[in-house]
Amino acid sequence: MTTPTTPTPTGTAIRLAGVSKTFSTSSGDVVALDDIDLDIPEGGFVSLLGPSGCGKSTLLRVIGDLVTPTTGTVEVAGTIAAEARRTRQYGMAFQAPGLMDWRTVRRNIELPLQVQGVGRAERRQRADEMLELVKLTQFADHRPRQLSGGMQQRVAIARALAMQPRVLLMDEPLGALDEMNREHLQRELLRIWRATGTTVVFVTHSIPEAVFLSTEVVVMSPRPGRIASRIPVDLPYPRTDETRLTDEFQAAERHVRERLHAVLEPTTAGL
Amino acid sequence: MSALVPVERPVRLSRGRGRGLLSALAPAAVLGVVLLLSWQLVVLVGGVQAYLLPAPSAIAQAVVSDAPALLSAARPTATAVVLAVLAGAALGVLASVVIAMFEGVARVVLALVALAGCAPIVALAPIFNAWLGSTSIASKVAVATLSVTIPVVVNTTRGLLAVSPTHREYMQSVSASRRQLLVHVRLPGALPALFDGLRVGATLSVIAVIVSEYFGGTSNALGVLIANTAAMSRFDQTWAAVFVASLLGLSLYGLIALVERVAVPWRSATSG
Repeated sequence: MTTPTTPTPTGTAIRLAGVSKTFSTSSGDVVALDDIDLDIPEGGFVSLLGPSGCGKSTLLRVIGDLVTPTTGTVEVAGTIAAEARRTRQYGMAFQAPGLMDWRTVRRNIELPLQVQGVGRAERRQRADEMLELVKLTQFADHRPRQLSGGMQQRVAIARALAMQPRVLLMDEPLGALDEMNREHLQRELLRIWRATGTTVVFVTHSIPEAVFLSTEVVVMSPRPGRIASRIPVDLPYPRTDETRLTDEFQAAERHVRERLHAVLEPTTAGL
Repeated sequence: MSALVPVERPVRLSRGRGRGLLSALAPAAVLGVVLLLSWQLVVLVGGVQAYLLPAPSAIAQAVVSDAPALLSAARPTATAVVLAVLAGAALGVLASVVIAMFEGVARVVLALVALAGCAPIVALAPIFNAWLGSTSIASKVAVATLSVTIPVVVNTTRGLLAVSPTHREYMQSVSASRRQLLVHVRLPGALPALFDGLRVGATLSVIAVIVSEYFGGTSNALGVLIANTAAMSRFDQTWAAVFVASLLGLSLYGLIALVERVAVPWRSATSG
């Protein structure tokens, strides 16, 4: 955090206070999130890490106002989450790229701008900028299904960034990719993040991914979903493939792994 | 910056789809020729009476010699069929959008429509003839429109309701309105299903129009021609008219497939 290349967070982008979420199911109530307090700084890259069922995806959706919390408040960019979504402060990308087959790559990226009511010429210009950012300019007129999974995910990221959102919410966007593609897109994601200065909340279950990308890793524990620990990652940016080989990276990875295992211990003891 | 940049290749579209189509059609063409030849052979060698089953050559002869009569009879029939398909598609899509707007009851309504589709719609032909006058094509168009509308509604509504959760969530995240979800996601997503319904409906509409014409009325139509020539035991002419009716159905099917290729280009994007 002391190197000059590290983005210096100013102000708070996201603030959660006393957030809980209980889902009612036929077999009784399930507490997905329990009393979450979390501040995410402007320009930060925060990963939510934890085993399945720890509520990390639910937490992401609470931040994005796709799930309404049972209790507590969510503030994004100084306003309540519902207002932030209404004024289109969010860019979202999911594990499935979720592109529209009926639109070309360029028109997929234009979609959020179209929803927003941006004019044709500006839409096209912004989409072309985004295509350049994710290095897919030459595939602008392709159909999503003509692209590989990794390329589709890059289009989804471009689409999420097209509205120049204050907050980028990502739910395991690289989860379905093979290791090579995954590491490649991690580098791309860092490059894009540093180029745009967007605040990123990133859900993952991969320890190296969380450590490589994040300014801070938030480890969550399951049943009920709680924040177990918050671990700042003090590795300088830009992070490269060489970063992964450094002792500092491996120490950070080990540290996160220990915290995660501490979370898992109660449930896996005796296995 | 990095030593390892994985090479990402886009999935290539297979070239020469035309050749693929040809090789796909060839076996069917061969089979067709073999069947026609065997038919001809059975009739000639077996000495089958012409009123029971005319030889393909006799039918072909009738098609040629009766060409003017067949063509003029085909015109009102084709007009009724095309009008029915257009009206059925329009009504079907409209009804589907209305049904899909009420997601809570859509499934129930859909089940009722599908149930109605099980009834033989053509059986209503005499009733429609009585309502709309048997001499106009209106009664034929009405029955056929109904038989197009039902499969279009069933398929299109299913398509409209089947929104992928990721698409829905994405549109929600950008605060899209219900209308925007309909225009940008539901309708284009339902297009393939619409064409599935339209293909079924087109086949049914040809049947509906021809059968309606059996019940009399217009002096000149394929259905009338079929009924009259059969009544006069001129079966080569009956078969010739049936052949033209089949041709009509086939052309309609092909036309719909063609329109689908233009309207739903992404459907064939990966099938190559």
